[in-house]
Amino acid sequence: MSSIDELEDARQDLESLLLDVLNSTLGEEAFTTDESLPAGPLATSRLSIHDEAQDTYLGIEIRVGAVLARLLASKMMAAGDPSPDDLLDAVGELGNIVGGNVKTLLYHTARLSLPMADLNSRTGPGDPDDPSTTLRVAASVFGQTAQVVLTPGAPVDGLYWPPSQEDEALEKQP
Amino acid sequence: MLALVVDDSRAMRSILTRLLSGLDFDVAQAGDGAEAMAVLDAGTRPDVILVDWNMPVMDGLTFIKAVRAREDLRDISLMMVTTESEQGQIVRALAAGAHEYVIKPFTDEVIAEKLALLGLGDV
Repeated sequence: MSSIDELEDARQDLESLLLDVLNSTLGEEAFTTDESLPAGPLATSRLSIHDEAQDTYLGIEIRVGAVLARLLASKMMAAGDPSPDDLLDAVGELGNIVGGNVKTLLYHTARLSLPMADLNSRTGPGDPDDPSTTLRVAASVFGQTAQVVLTPGAPVDGLYWPPSQEDEALEKQP
Repeated sequence: MLALVVDDSRAMRSILTRLLSGLDFDVAQAGDGAEAMAVLDAGTRPDVILVDWNMPVMDGLTFIKAVRAREDLRDISLMMVTTESEQGQIVRALAAGAHEYVIKPFTDEVIAEKLALLGLGDV
């Protein structure tokens, strides 16, 4: 699963996945949307999936605006006034849940990185995602937009990878 | 009853702690497998440990193997709570010694049902 065409074939499943995760996490019904993200800084969670059979990487980025990030953290942490650390953690975990389910949807054997969250991300004005290199799905919940952007071959710098089966096999060697 | 929640996400620990408290559990927390082993080494003996898979320092699968390798911890029930949902991964976790397996996102009812299957509370 490394081309945009292949990802496009899975678009409906990816949209359903995002709706399910938002429904479960926020306890509120989410809807597919074409709405853009709000102006201002974005909270993002970046991960990557390593397809070990093909040795390819799929970048995953979850993007939400400041309002939805606060709602998410308030709900997950049961905190009336979540701190920036709470927001980072909540958005990171949202990315982890989305990423894990994307991995199961698209791959047979693959590894998921840990999420890297950022509260001051901005992808730039307008529509910066090139549809020839990225697939983007979006959902609306509480009137706020959440996006998932998948980018085959996205850089993996700075991401942490948990041990793999291969690592375990190496550990067992004399 | 005492539960130990092991997850590198404070948000997920918070969700599970509230859920378990509502089921009359006292709850201890740890941020990774190594931290959880330190809790156990200090003498804490939970009835059940809910553990994530992908964590820094010591991942959940390694933690489960470490717990299962210790005679003094054999009575503790282990529940993997993770986004890892490939069949092969589930089999690995169960083979390593996990008693139950829950895929994120989960509902409160699923956790309660799994605990009931372990003899820890009613559905």
